[in-house]
Amino acid sequence: MKKIIFASCLVALLAAAPAMAQSDLSMYVALGDSVTAGFASASLMDWYQDRSYPALIAQQARIDDFEQPLVSEPGFGPIFELVHLVPIPAIEPVGMVPGQPVNAALPRPYNNLGVPTSTLFDMLFTTGDINNLLQGNTDNAMHDLVLRDGINTALEQAMLLQPTFMTVWIGNVDVLGAVLAGTPIDLITMTPVEVFAQLYNNAIGALATNTTADIVLVNLPYSTAIPFTTSVDPFVDIPQLGRVYLMADTGLLTDDDLVTLAAGPLIAQGYGLPGGPPLPDNLNFFTGEPGYVLRPTEVEIINDRVDAFNTIIAAAGSTYGYPVFDANELFDGIVSGTSLPTFGGVSLSADFLLGGIFSYDAIHPQNIGSALIANGLIQFINAEFGSNIPQVDMAEVLFEGDWQNPGVSPANAREVVMSAEAFQQLYELVPPKLDQAPRIRRPGGDRPESSRGDLRRKPAKRP
Amino acid sequence: MIAKNRGRILLVVAMAVVAPTLGWGSGFALFEVGGRAGAMAGAMTAVADDPSALFWNPAGMAFQTNDGIKLMFGTTLISPEQSFTGMSPYPGDGYTADQVEQLFYPVHLYLGIPVNDRLEVSFSLMNSWGLGTEWEDDFLGRYISKKADLMVFDVGVSMAYQLSDNVAFGIGVDYMTATIELTRNVGLINPFNQRLTDVAETHLKSDGINSAWAWNAGLLWKLGAGFQLGASYRSEFTVNGEGTGRFSQVPTGYPEFDALLGTFLPFDEDLPITASIAFPDFWNVGLSWQNEKWTVSGQYGVMGWSAYQELPIIFPENPEFSTVIEENYEDAAQWRIGAEFRANQRWALQLGYLFDETGQPVESMSPLLGDGDRTAYTGGISYHTDRFRFDLGLEHVKTAARSTGGNQNEGFDGTYEGSSPIVHLSFTIKF
Repeated sequence: MKKIIFASCLVALLAAAPAMAQSDLSMYVALGDSVTAGFASASLMDWYQDRSYPALIAQQARIDDFEQPLVSEPGFGPIFELVHLVPIPAIEPVGMVPGQPVNAALPRPYNNLGVPTSTLFDMLFTTGDINNLLQGNTDNAMHDLVLRDGINTALEQAMLLQPTFMTVWIGNVDVLGAVLAGTPIDLITMTPVEVFAQLYNNAIGALATNTTADIVLVNLPYSTAIPFTTSVDPFVDIPQLGRVYLMADTGLLTDDDLVTLAAGPLIAQGYGLPGGPPLPDNLNFFTGEPGYVLRPTEVEIINDRVDAFNTIIAAAGSTYGYPVFDANELFDGIVSGTSLPTFGGVSLSADFLLGGIFSYDAIHPQNIGSALIANGLIQFINAEFGSNIPQVDMAEVLFEGDWQNPGVSPANAREVVMSAEAFQQLYELVPPKLDQAPRIRRPGGDRPESSRGDLRRKPAKRP
Repeated sequence: MIAKNRGRILLVVAMAVVAPTLGWGSGFALFEVGGRAGAMAGAMTAVADDPSALFWNPAGMAFQTNDGIKLMFGTTLISPEQSFTGMSPYPGDGYTADQVEQLFYPVHLYLGIPVNDRLEVSFSLMNSWGLGTEWEDDFLGRYISKKADLMVFDVGVSMAYQLSDNVAFGIGVDYMTATIELTRNVGLINPFNQRLTDVAETHLKSDGINSAWAWNAGLLWKLGAGFQLGASYRSEFTVNGEGTGRFSQVPTGYPEFDALLGTFLPFDEDLPITASIAFPDFWNVGLSWQNEKWTVSGQYGVMGWSAYQELPIIFPENPEFSTVIEENYEDAAQWRIGAEFRANQRWALQLGYLFDETGQPVESMSPLLGDGDRTAYTGGISYHTDRFRFDLGLEHVKTAARSTGGNQNEGFDGTYEGSSPIVHLSFTIKF
């Protein structure tokens, strides 16, 4: 009898052993930026927020009270939509009136503390007040929406939740400005390496000191390989003339140059073409107008910056004992085509519109892309912490489709790749740090007054 | 931008055209070549005392010269069942599907003509290879395969000669003709709603006579005391086939998307294709014992599936759709035992058991063929007179549940499990 009892205890202990090693996701908190927030197609909207990678991880881990700063349709700011595919794809915001916060009364911080537009600095030092936003003041909209209390930063709110598990994916916006502006400049469109190193170590050190959470750090993909920079050729094919390379104000483009998606409206107006004005290559410090071309040296500078940030992230992970999920490798495999995610014989890719991963803003993932990230992280978490979280069912995701079928009349479409209005909305999210409001060159005239809010971040609290 | 994506679309479509494989495993190497042989689980290499020897060991025909001219013909009724249970991430935990029920009836026809008491010349026609799989239209693996049909007709001529009263050999040549049809859907992300959408159905079909030559040989040695030792070999062969590929557009409900696809894909045109398919060799050794009432036989064989490493499908006039699929099969062994009890001058009963390894790696398992190790229990009954013989064999084949384990090449993971009732029917006439 004693043998039976002993054997039973042994079996019970052995069975319990894996469970003891598993990570506790009961209070899962996600820190990050727009990708973490579920920002897609230039908008923060509940449909995509519910499909953000942190929400999917929580769903798969059966966490019922994973709270997010949900925004009603059509999101904040108005979500982009494809209204025409041929002859040239046209992407437009859906209307001009943004959605409303629908979970702002939650009496505690959100589990998803991803703040669109958030740099690493913002995560440590920027606060937000929901009253400010509800009063119609949109100068710090994203932080107001997510952080609400006007007191605590995202990092502080994360610690207040006493998380059992965290993911930290921050730093994308610290280089994204260089891509949007077509110009890598320290302090203006990119965060300097030494600043990033100090802030990152401070942030992770604070989490290590003030929480007992299992934490997964996530490194950064190359922002030069997203559809925003890879979808427009540096040339046009003109009947009778053949292939004609675009002319920038710094010289003729070559196959090695990247033209941003925002250049579409200008090219349609004749910019860069024979007889037309040259395409602005770099950020205009006086007007704030972005550049539209990334030369190979600029791409190298931006990629080197990503590498440097990733080295800092890896070092912090090593110092504090936190595993680092290699998002850079995940996206590099997709972008290079060497590791395309394939489901039932259908391969997804980083291609704009048809690839299935990126949203209509060509920068952020849509629901399929978020599910891929979630599954990558779930596999990583399972491997690192002995968990057994099931992966997201990709059949449901792939056949679910977009938040709605196209509801915008094709008659409203303009024959440009991404309209000037659409890009202005996107550009204002991560503007260069200039004294005056940035403006982009609009085909056919200056920018009209718009009822849309200025979504730029505004640090409200500094050390 | 769309033009930039053109290459990706064409790649997707190319994969969709040919993809997964004509993956062949035990599942479509047919061994259903005779009623009595089937009832003894094919353990006939060391027995080879009826015309099905032309498949299992042609040397056996040399010891049948006393039977005079004989004609054996028949069919095998096969009704395979296969179920699939999915796993995440695709098609998802809990997803299940069953193949559409089908009935196949491969044939066999043998004619043995003694030249003298030591030499026999034989002619054969059989379906030694075949595959048929079909899934419902809404099957989540439809981008890999919806329907597949493969049939190989093997027309053979053999010569068997008794070297002595105890030893004979046989050799033969086989003219193989193959017909193949594959149907699957093409899925792309609809840019208007970001939903995976069926945009086309592809249909690949062989044309004309796609053929190859093969050969076979066997040795049968009467050891004494009722024991016989047999060995046989059927050669590898490669069918270099031609056919057509055709895309039929599936309207998506988005005219602009449909129009765009129409600029990339040559809908409703018969595009010439060529393909090269390697069939494995197959050798067996067996030992049997028999007395007046009983025959007991066992054998071991290996199919050289490692010959099937890749499947090139070439569109000579549309090279953008051409591709080469990695298969990486491995050699697979099989064991067979069978017995016959001759109750009297008219009636005989047979029993058998076989285990047949699959040569298909889990990475290649797909809706086209999700193979596993097969086991089968067999039984049968024969009735014969001096001139006629009728053989009825019953077989139940079970393909063991086998999971892709998250490693499937095309992201379609889950567990396949199958079974099939088989009825072997043969009729023999001696002239």
